[in-house]
Amino acid sequence: MKRGELLGSLEHVILLALLRLDGSAHGMMVRREIEERTGRNVSIGAVYATLERLEMKGYVSSSIGEPTPERGGRAKRLFRLQAAGRRALQVSEQTIRSMTAGLSDRWEAI
Amino acid sequence: MNRSSPPALACWLLQHFLPIPNRGPMLGDLIEEYAIRAESTSPSAAARWFWSQAFRSVPLMIVSSRRAGGWLTSIVIALSVYIGVASFKLAIGVMVAKLVAPGQTGHIVLNAVEFLMATAVGGCIAARIRRGATIFLALLVMFTVAILIELKLCTIPVPWWYQFGFLSLGPLAVLIAPAIIERLTLRAEGRTS
Repeated sequence: MKRGELLGSLEHVILLALLRLDGSAHGMMVRREIEERTGRNVSIGAVYATLERLEMKGYVSSSIGEPTPERGGRAKRLFRLQAAGRRALQVSEQTIRSMTAGLSDRWEAI
Repeated sequence: MNRSSPPALACWLLQHFLPIPNRGPMLGDLIEEYAIRAESTSPSAAARWFWSQAFRSVPLMIVSSRRAGGWLTSIVIALSVYIGVASFKLAIGVMVAKLVAPGQTGHIVLNAVEFLMATAVGGCIAARIRRGATIFLALLVMFTVAILIELKLCTIPVPWWYQFGFLSLGPLAVLIAPAIIERLTLRAEGRTS
């Protein structure tokens, strides 16, 4: 992750979802994890578009699994969190922590 | 539609409009989640969810794969821009007709200006999304004008070159306007740097 480059909000949430799902999951699991934890009904298209962007950045990798009957004979695409993705999450978390430090009283004022 | 099969039309939509690399995995994910939802809620609620996912995912995936997609993506973009621009042109036409009576020279001139402006704006929008889409948009414009001429929908007597102008300059505006804008932007960037 380049210095000063921050993760987008959905990128951040998706990387966190992958981390929660033991570092690897397919699109549907990621989508459900986000919906269960945040209540946000994200579209599968948004999840895949973001995962592809993360893959281009080298934060995740993907592989195609075997087709299964319960998926109408369609294969799963399994996404895995990479070391660069974990680092990007750490940097993002640190940035948010340092930017929000000491602001709790101001939030209450708003 | 039974408990485990999602709406066939929505599946068809996804099957035909999702970009090829993600088509199978995405559709498989949706079918899998549909089955879970149909069991936990109701088939109709699961079908509503499936439709909402299809409607929200298809445009998003088309736009996100605009660089990697094929000609079908270009056609979809061109068609969307065409519909938008045609609606815009129609709205402007109605407004102009209220100001200038149809048949007057002013109306004929304004009609041509509106048309060229709308096609130029359409060309710029299409090129911004995907450069290849401008060719399809130009063809769509040419095809529409040709049909309108053939159907003789224009009740006002106009010279042949006026109609020919629409047929040739409309598609040209679609193709040339993005190039002009790009050149102007580059020149402006060169001046500021």
